[in-house]
Amino acid sequence: MDVNESIKATVRKRTSAGLMLIIVAAVTLEATTLIQYFFSQRALRQEASLRAESELRATRNYIMDIVDQAESAVNNSAWITRLCLDYPDSIAVVARRIVEENPAVMGSSIALVPGYNPKRPLFSPYVFRTADGGTELKSLATPEYDYPSQEWFTEPLKYGIGYWSEPYIDTGGGDALMTTYSVPITDDDGRIAAVLTADLSLDWLTELVGNVRVYPGAYSVLISREGTIMVSPMETLNMHQSIRDYAKQATDTANFNRMADLMLSGKTGNVSLSRKRRQKTFVFFAPVERTGWSMAIVIPDNEIFREIRRMGRLVNFLTLVGLAMLVLILRSAARSSTRFHELNEKKDRMENELRIGHNIQMSMIPKTFPPFPERKDIDISATLVPAKEVGGDLYDFYIRDEKLFFCIGDVSGKGVPASLVMAVTRSLFRTISNHEKSPQRIVTLLNESMTDMNENNMFVTFFCGVLDMITGHMRYCNAGHNPPVLLSDRVRELPVFPNLPLGIMQGMSFREQETDLSCDDTLFLYTDGVTEAENVSSEQFGQARMLSVLLEHRDAQGQLESMQKAVSDFVGEAAPSDDLTMLIIHYLNDMQADVTERHLILHNDIQQIPQLAEFIETIADEKSLDQALAMSLNLALEEAVTNVILYAYPEGSDGLVDIEAILGAEKLTFIISDSGIPFDPTAAPEADVTLGVEERPIGGLGIYLVRNIMDTVSYERVDGKNVLTLTKII
Amino acid sequence: MEVIINKESNVSTVRLIGRLDTPASQDVAQELEPLMADASGTIVLDCSEMGYISSSGLRIFLSLRKAAASRGGKVIVRNISDDIRQVFMMTGFLNLFEIE
Repeated sequence: MDVNESIKATVRKRTSAGLMLIIVAAVTLEATTLIQYFFSQRALRQEASLRAESELRATRNYIMDIVDQAESAVNNSAWITRLCLDYPDSIAVVARRIVEENPAVMGSSIALVPGYNPKRPLFSPYVFRTADGGTELKSLATPEYDYPSQEWFTEPLKYGIGYWSEPYIDTGGGDALMTTYSVPITDDDGRIAAVLTADLSLDWLTELVGNVRVYPGAYSVLISREGTIMVSPMETLNMHQSIRDYAKQATDTANFNRMADLMLSGKTGNVSLSRKRRQKTFVFFAPVERTGWSMAIVIPDNEIFREIRRMGRLVNFLTLVGLAMLVLILRSAARSSTRFHELNEKKDRMENELRIGHNIQMSMIPKTFPPFPERKDIDISATLVPAKEVGGDLYDFYIRDEKLFFCIGDVSGKGVPASLVMAVTRSLFRTISNHEKSPQRIVTLLNESMTDMNENNMFVTFFCGVLDMITGHMRYCNAGHNPPVLLSDRVRELPVFPNLPLGIMQGMSFREQETDLSCDDTLFLYTDGVTEAENVSSEQFGQARMLSVLLEHRDAQGQLESMQKAVSDFVGEAAPSDDLTMLIIHYLNDMQADVTERHLILHNDIQQIPQLAEFIETIADEKSLDQALAMSLNLALEEAVTNVILYAYPEGSDGLVDIEAILGAEKLTFIISDSGIPFDPTAAPEADVTLGVEERPIGGLGIYLVRNIMDTVSYERVDGKNVLTLTKII
Repeated sequence: MEVIINKESNVSTVRLIGRLDTPASQDVAQELEPLMADASGTIVLDCSEMGYISSSGLRIFLSLRKAAASRGGKVIVRNISDDIRQVFMMTGFLNLFEIE
């Protein structure tokens, strides 16, 4: 599985985890809402039930009050009616009193049982209230009306008690809804003699029942004993249709009939009826005693639950909004976690690349110590510790032609850009110093190259030195770097011209300086990372501390280690502020003690060559060299000097050849210099000594012999002179 | 340096006495000029008394060898010292000359 796949898998895993989270959140929220809804609904239904019942009770009480009044009015007049039985003409007076004294009573009559009074087989005076508030009397004993067949007459006689008639529309008195209460009247002998009635207007009932509105949208219905709808909001039904007929067209007929049964049998209770569009209606009902009526309060459930449903919708909406936000948050979290993952990957990659960069950088500088284990004349130690993975410090050194080329530098800035410049600087140093021996030349050429390509205005402080290992003569050139410390018989800073750092200005001229190192002298080169190393209190390590640590040891490795420890102890927990670089060169050429020098100056005349032979012979004697070696030295020197005599100066002009011999116990050094035209004999191509006679060129053997005989041959142009240095280990 | 040339019929023997250094080579080259011109025979370079040779001396040897080669003659180097043999070896001259 490659990395991309694994990221995708991780993202998928995270996404499904996020999905799970959303689902769980949604289910939890929804369940909470549902439970709350369920309990709220139950509470609301209970409340609706309580409210309905209390309304029913109040309304019934109100109705009963009036019913009582009407019954009382009638019952209270029963005794006087009995008294009047024998005096039918006075009966009407009784009826009139009932009407006049009871505002709710619209009319009253006393109807004699047919045949009770032989003189008046049918007799029924009726007093009724007129529109103007007065009363009128009329007789109901007409053949058309036939009162003995009327319900209000027959029913009380049948049961022997007071009877409330079915409500009816009174066509005589102006379409008023009426009901009649009638009681049987017995005479003194216990015979039923008459029926006393009171007509009760039910107009108030419409208003009363119509006003019962426990909820907006709820309504009340009053039905009669027979099931006739007396009062309802549907006026067309009132007094025209019975509840049973209505049940037939109801949506939920079965329950409706059950309810009708309960109501008509005078029960108290409630039912739930299904309606269209999955709605429900709650009906609370209770009987109105004595009248045989039943009153119902009808509440559509959406009225009961209107608020909670609105709240439910609100909660659902909020839940959805919340979930949507959760989704967004999770997605952005997932995305940012993916981004985090990617950033991590990138960081890892970068760290890896930086580590590689570090390794590359470290591989560019010599870091095997001691670097020249076979040499006793030099001891070198060095360290480079970048503050970050890669840094802008550099040092380098190598030996060519018995000369130690070394440098130390500090690129402005830190990190990757500085490290790139460091790499460039080090490469240029190697390239340039490979054919230049003058530190001044090396620094100048470095500066030219670096200003040429310096688009980022990076600069490098740089110190370059070339130490002649034989003589201890050191030439050096500083380019804005801090002066190295020279530990000789005393400790001092090497005097340096500051000069400008590399990379600042093209065409800069750098000044070279020189000094001589004695045996056991040490040159300590460093970058400001040493002196400016800061501890947690932002104090700097400083030069005084550095110098005192330097004196603790005499050997390069010891000095380096104690300096590293001192700096590290000083810095403590503080983060490294700058690259830390040191280069310690311990010069140990102990041959200098028994070194002798010989000097020969020749004119550019080939006839002077025998003098050179003599010169070599003297040296050979002095150094007790064997014949063969003496001859080879002679040959090499002759070839080198001949070259100068023949080619350095224009023909006919006078010139000198300076031959300096430095004779150590183990090494002979010859320095041949002239002020002639620049000529580097070492640049000549190597002669091919394997060629046959025909192909073999006549010339080219001279420098070949020099190279073969001597251990090192090096040329440099110094101060307008050609300087050829030959050494021979003896 | 002294150069003694002894010519017997087809064989020219050249005795080189002393140091054949650069200045000496200039003289020796002149003295051997006739031999170069007539190099069809055998040239024997007797080095028994030659203590030293520089590259210019080697150049003379090589010139003679080339002249002989082009004219059908041959060059024999005789009695070289160990030191000079070393130089011959160094320069590949051991392979170019017949050495006795």
